[in-house]
Amino acid sequence: MTKRVDSQRVVVTGMGVVTPIGQTVPEFWSSIKAGKSGVSPLGGFPLDDLKILIAAQIKNFDPKARLKHFQRDRIITLADRYSWFAAAAADEAVKMSGLEVPFADPYRAACIVGSGAGGLVTYETAYRDLFIHNKRATHPLTLLRIIGSSASAHVGIEYGVKGPTFATCSACSTATHAIGIARDYIRHGLVDVAIAGASESVINYGTMKAWQALHVLSPEGCFPFSKRRNGTVLGEGSGLLVLESLEHAKRRGATILAELCGYGMASDSKDMVKPTVEGPAYAMRMALEDAGLSPGDIDYLNAHGTATTDNDINETRAIKEVFGNGAANLAISSTKSMHGHPLGAGGGIEAAVCIKAMQDQWAPPTIGLDEADPECDLDYVPNVGRDLKIGYTMSNSFAFGGLNAVIVLGPAPN
Amino acid sequence: MDSVAPKIIEILRKHMKNPDKDISLETKLEDLEIESLDLAMIVFDIEDSFGVEIPYNANEEVQDFKTVGSVVDRVTSLLKEAGKAGAAA
Repeated sequence: MTKRVDSQRVVVTGMGVVTPIGQTVPEFWSSIKAGKSGVSPLGGFPLDDLKILIAAQIKNFDPKARLKHFQRDRIITLADRYSWFAAAAADEAVKMSGLEVPFADPYRAACIVGSGAGGLVTYETAYRDLFIHNKRATHPLTLLRIIGSSASAHVGIEYGVKGPTFATCSACSTATHAIGIARDYIRHGLVDVAIAGASESVINYGTMKAWQALHVLSPEGCFPFSKRRNGTVLGEGSGLLVLESLEHAKRRGATILAELCGYGMASDSKDMVKPTVEGPAYAMRMALEDAGLSPGDIDYLNAHGTATTDNDINETRAIKEVFGNGAANLAISSTKSMHGHPLGAGGGIEAAVCIKAMQDQWAPPTIGLDEADPECDLDYVPNVGRDLKIGYTMSNSFAFGGLNAVIVLGPAPN
Repeated sequence: MDSVAPKIIEILRKHMKNPDKDISLETKLEDLEIESLDLAMIVFDIEDSFGVEIPYNANEEVQDFKTVGSVVDRVTSLLKEAGKAGAAA
């Protein structure tokens, strides 16, 4: 074991995504640049009496083709869909990082892949088998498919990670908490390398019914900050980063994509569905302070921006609280308008958006924003992205239960 | 081989890393590189195909699962007990 230090800078050397608008970072980013929407008619299972008939589903994901080269994890293609997404995102991220696999120093690597809900599609299939089809048993892999830590275990097995390996679970803040925890492990010298983020795949009849009963889904589309917004649209996918200490990345001559400069988190501790301004604002301030930056240093903010009535107004207020007069000059967008709301995976996918925005010096748009809600009166980069000098970016993730997590990403250190 | 054996061998092949290996009744399951998780899936498939329930516990060393022949014998005797006379369901 190496002596722990408390001063490691942490950088991103790889990223991978699986989304409804692209199953790799280049595909995804070109869809974002084109302002493409991933929302489509719901399908793939009997819709029966469902009233919400749209979602941002991933179409044509073939695990047998995408994951056939997996070496060490021999049952990945038999896993739940949420683990497939994590495996595919990890594959892209690790390849991009150029790290040799299995990792040379396995106890100095972490694999923190969260999930808001685990294998819910498997759950529903198993319960249908038992309760409707009167099957005498569930499929033998049912339990392993369902557990919320199976994506992290699968990815950890494939890459030979023997250090901290587990899942985080904080609904829509899951990925950002995972990335923040991994950042802290590297900063404190516990590990040198981490695969971190989250994966989600929950779109089935039962989940749609549950979300429908909460009355927060839109029957028409995801229009964050818009006057016509009437709820979010469920999505699915995965977003993972490869994080490393700056020292480790430099030593092996890795290409550094960005620095993970700051991480903040706070819980509202108030209500399951009504957010406070205080909690999100505290998390944003904490991330800025952690990064040693002032609000004016942030050029682009990827909002949580779910298109629910409460989130978008509340997030706008919290941004104003933190950024003061500077809020009006900040480019903010919700890319959920394009990739939908992938729940726990959101923060991982949106971290990739922030990194690409810095690379391209281009702020992605919020699509479907024809007329803003008067109470959402900031610059949400409506409908068309724009060239912008971007130094530092912030990514917000807020979750049911009032669980807030925020990261700040900046340019690769010289 | 009776009618049970070919069906069992077909199920085993479905779960083997190298399904082209030679299989006889004397073949040991460990020689087919069948591990505990594979065995759980094999038991599930056999139960589904023959409509029987196999008392199998992954925590115990079970003689019935040493060789292909011992699996065939066990399933045949379970079918006899259930009065199903060896036909795959």
